[in-house]
Amino acid sequence: MNDQINEKPRSDGTLVEVRDLKKHFPVQAGLLERLMAKRIEYVRAVDGVSFVIHKGEVLGLAGESGSGKTTTGKLVIRLEEPTEGSVKFDGIDLQTLGDEEMRRLRRRMQVIFQDPMASLNPRMTIGQAVGHPLQIHFPEQAGSHREMIYEILDKVGLSPPQFFIDKYAHQISGGQRQRVVIARALVTQPDLVLADEPIAMADVSVRALLLDLMIQLKNEFNLTYLFITHDLATAKYICDRIGIMYLGKLSEVAELREVYSHPLHPYTQALLAAVPVPNPHKRRTQPMPVGEIPDAIHPPSGCRFHPRCPIVRLDHCPKVEPELRELRPGHFVACHYAEQFL
Amino acid sequence: MTGENKKVLVEIRDLDVRYQTRLGPVSAVDDVSFDIFQGEILGLVGESGCGKSTMGKALMRLLPPTTEIRGKVIFDGADVLTFNEDQIRDFRGRRISMIFQDPMTSLNPVQRIDEHLVETIQVHEPEIKKPAALDRIRGLVERLGIQKERIEDYPHQLSGGMRQRVMISLGLVLNPSLIIADEATTSLDVIVEAKFLDELREIIDEFGVSILVITHNIALVAELADRIAVMYAGRIAELGSIYHVFDNPVHPYTKGLLQSVPSIKLDEREVLYKMPGEPPNLTHPPSGCRFHPRCPEVMPICSNHMPSLLHVTSEQMVNCWLYQDHPEKDRPTIEVAT
Amino acid sequence: MTSTQETSVEAPRWQEDLDQVGFVRRLFLARRWYGADWWFVAIGLALLVFIFSMAFFPGFYAPYDPREEVGPGLLAPGEPIPSFVLVGRVGGATMLDDLIGDDVRIGIVIGSQASSVFREVSETRQAELRAQGQDVTLRPRPQRYDTLEEALDSVSAGEIPTAIELRSEIEPLLENYLDLEMGETLSGAIQKPFILGTNQIGQDMLSRVIWGTRIALLVAFSAAIFALLVGVPLGLIAGFWSGRLERVLTLVMDSLYSFPGLILAIAIAAVLGPGIMNVILAIATLYVPTYYRITRGQTLTVKQSLYVEAARSLGAKPVSILLRYILPNVIPSLVVIFSVNVADAILTEAGLAFIGLGLPPDVPDWGIDLASGQDYLRQAWWLVTFPGVMVTVVTLAFSMLGESLSEILNPRLSEL
Repeated sequence: MNDQINEKPRSDGTLVEVRDLKKHFPVQAGLLERLMAKRIEYVRAVDGVSFVIHKGEVLGLAGESGSGKTTTGKLVIRLEEPTEGSVKFDGIDLQTLGDEEMRRLRRRMQVIFQDPMASLNPRMTIGQAVGHPLQIHFPEQAGSHREMIYEILDKVGLSPPQFFIDKYAHQISGGQRQRVVIARALVTQPDLVLADEPIAMADVSVRALLLDLMIQLKNEFNLTYLFITHDLATAKYICDRIGIMYLGKLSEVAELREVYSHPLHPYTQALLAAVPVPNPHKRRTQPMPVGEIPDAIHPPSGCRFHPRCPIVRLDHCPKVEPELRELRPGHFVACHYAEQFL
Repeated sequence: MTGENKKVLVEIRDLDVRYQTRLGPVSAVDDVSFDIFQGEILGLVGESGCGKSTMGKALMRLLPPTTEIRGKVIFDGADVLTFNEDQIRDFRGRRISMIFQDPMTSLNPVQRIDEHLVETIQVHEPEIKKPAALDRIRGLVERLGIQKERIEDYPHQLSGGMRQRVMISLGLVLNPSLIIADEATTSLDVIVEAKFLDELREIIDEFGVSILVITHNIALVAELADRIAVMYAGRIAELGSIYHVFDNPVHPYTKGLLQSVPSIKLDEREVLYKMPGEPPNLTHPPSGCRFHPRCPEVMPICSNHMPSLLHVTSEQMVNCWLYQDHPEKDRPTIEVAT
Repeated sequence: MTSTQETSVEAPRWQEDLDQVGFVRRLFLARRWYGADWWFVAIGLALLVFIFSMAFFPGFYAPYDPREEVGPGLLAPGEPIPSFVLVGRVGGATMLDDLIGDDVRIGIVIGSQASSVFREVSETRQAELRAQGQDVTLRPRPQRYDTLEEALDSVSAGEIPTAIELRSEIEPLLENYLDLEMGETLSGAIQKPFILGTNQIGQDMLSRVIWGTRIALLVAFSAAIFALLVGVPLGLIAGFWSGRLERVLTLVMDSLYSFPGLILAIAIAAVLGPGIMNVILAIATLYVPTYYRITRGQTLTVKQSLYVEAARSLGAKPVSILLRYILPNVIPSLVVIFSVNVADAILTEAGLAFIGLGLPPDVPDWGIDLASGQDYLRQAWWLVTFPGVMVTVVTLAFSMLGESLSEILNPRLSEL
């Protein structure tokens, strides 16, 4: 089951290569069920995903709840162990690494979490929090840590840094907290940054600032982002390419402008139409697909979207799972009948 | 305000909500006055801490007793803020009802759906027996797309969208005149949210109820509302018909806010406006107009005196010194073309 | 897609202003925030300071040696020391100085407090006289009688020159002894009044209560600290690295925990035998499971937090995560537990002493006092009351301090 992964590397080559990634979580069985030796069921959070991330790009992974986007992100930086499949970071297969090697590799792959309050240790000052990765990865340079912390705090716009160093997470505002999280992620100058809904919890007027900051920093530090989001409108402002996920699989992957202007998968089309537009003259008229997202323990057979799909062919779609096919240059779609939209 | 001469459903006058926090008194809602018309969808938007949720709760008298509330909320000739316990209990659910953000925590996990609905009816009309109540519910529930069999389920057995529909049915079961939706779609997926909006529109057409949509999601309001009120730091900055406010925002905050909202359309808003600063801490609000520290068009008068919410056209009201006269102003007042 | 607009964020004025407020001022502001909690801390702290000073400098506070029989038995708090009077033949030895000389006898009823009073007074008098230059011996030897009548008979018969007993006892009997008369009144002149009364052997309650503080705190504190030092690391390890070992450990701990506390302590103390160290160990063992369970539970909770996951994503080593991320967030719950624990340990220790386990009997201890005082509950309420009050007060002080301290220590509560 080898999905066609990817084509011509854009800038300097491939940073991350993901093949057939699967993550199944066992469902906690109740006592009665265990007594009756019922077969363990699995939540198929990620069920066969393949893609690459090019150096220097921002790849968005978008989807609704249950799509598996967050879990995929965690698998890429190995905060979760895959059930099946492989992740290669800069050519290194992560499975082959031992604990210590993996820990050291983390210097190159950092995370910006969604909830800044929850992702900062309430009992650490900002200086300690941002300095901790330096202690882990550059212990020999202990003398210059303070300088490096000041520098990164300044870069993320928290100035004067001396003011913020001794503060605790709850003593600063939400927007400032997220900047601290960004600072902590970037202080070791990583190659890859996993951004898991990084601005979802910030105030509306602050989000634009944070997005801008992330773009600036990407250019300055030559970063690569894996940007997980459910907010397709926001994705437009930062993602180069975007992958749409549904129930654990990728349904469409291409350059963002390409997907938004020529969505080929019925799910993508519905998703794009559903997003409210801040313009009362352009209200949605398109109907929404019937039904709701099924549970990931028993996904529909064949194409997972088939029970809700407006163009479903019942003799084919429930039987055969579609593969990602390149229907336009660089534009991959997992749908048997997407040609009709070309 | 939308061309028709709509009847006024709720008149809010000089509403003040103040409560005590660890650092002193906070004025969550400050001198707010506006009307809600019958059969309209009014969107109340603002960032976190602007007071919109407090406002919604104040209308339902759902704030803790230690809160100081002043002003008038006139509904059908009577001032809701003067009601006693019994009147309030009758009022809630029957005249005004509320739909909350997270249906999982707003529904009683050990009560079946039909029990929820029957209880709501029986609290207000104790003489109605269960079979009669169930009859009333069935029709409503089916209209909202909940299958008959599901009403005997418990909340955790339903999907998110279903639960939200149950919330709507709870809000509608007593035929109120106004439904307040407080961040009702924030926890929903975007397709479910879209369907929810469709349902809301249908409900208005069929039941003639007004809806006050409280949210920080401006795009949502653009999709749905007839009028929009923009709140900032406890005051209304701008209020008007949705088309007028979006096409021609007058308040600097509204301008900035609208410019900073992402749009999924490729041909719209290529660049987002980045508003400097952050929403104020209400224990230390800025003097005068609360937006002045972040305002690109600030004048000296703005830090000294607070403007009032006044009509600038027949369709729009603004709370800003640019459009009002004052002896200390050094700039001429701007006239807005209709 | 990019813009050149300024993206830096200045610390808002109001944050800087609030920062300027010094620590002391903030503490006073805290009084406004926390209300009852602040007072609780203040009161608890004051009480504890007082209690600790009693424990460290008992001699400073206690008027007497707690083991010494310094007064008449069962004297009520504040009751004036009853006077003893010498009884002699009419015209014979009825004054203290009459008893100077060698081989003089004085009649004393067995079990009477007269003996200690007399000893004290005569020694003082002897010292006085010797200081004046008189080389005299004033040391009558006690001649003991079962009853006062026998003593008086003896005096009447001339076998001994004088007897000494409470005035209130002698007076009614004198009707029958026309040849005897009362003489000098002796009372413990140097004795300060017994503020809290005396117990049945004549020991000063106040001194006993004060000296008892030392033992109570020593035992309770040591036991609590010991339990903490064993329970917390085990709990941390168990919570962080679940596995077979952890399951066995938890099983053991839960079994210990489910035992009724005092009974377990009794069992261990009985096995270990007497001695302070053994008492401490017995009580400590009692509380190890508490610390273990709390720590393990908290560790499991904190382990799930996003900031711990963030730490993992940074590449931190497990031990580092345990010590820098998990432990500091577990400690607040332990502070409360510790102080309540000390309070409880005092009660347990009193309980053990009550039964007679652990401490040697002559050590001044609240539990022992409570035990021995039971029998006199009706006549002498003060025997039980004051040790009991002390236990309560110390328990309360620790609890108050602990509970309110946990509120204040929580950094989230200094939120702006």
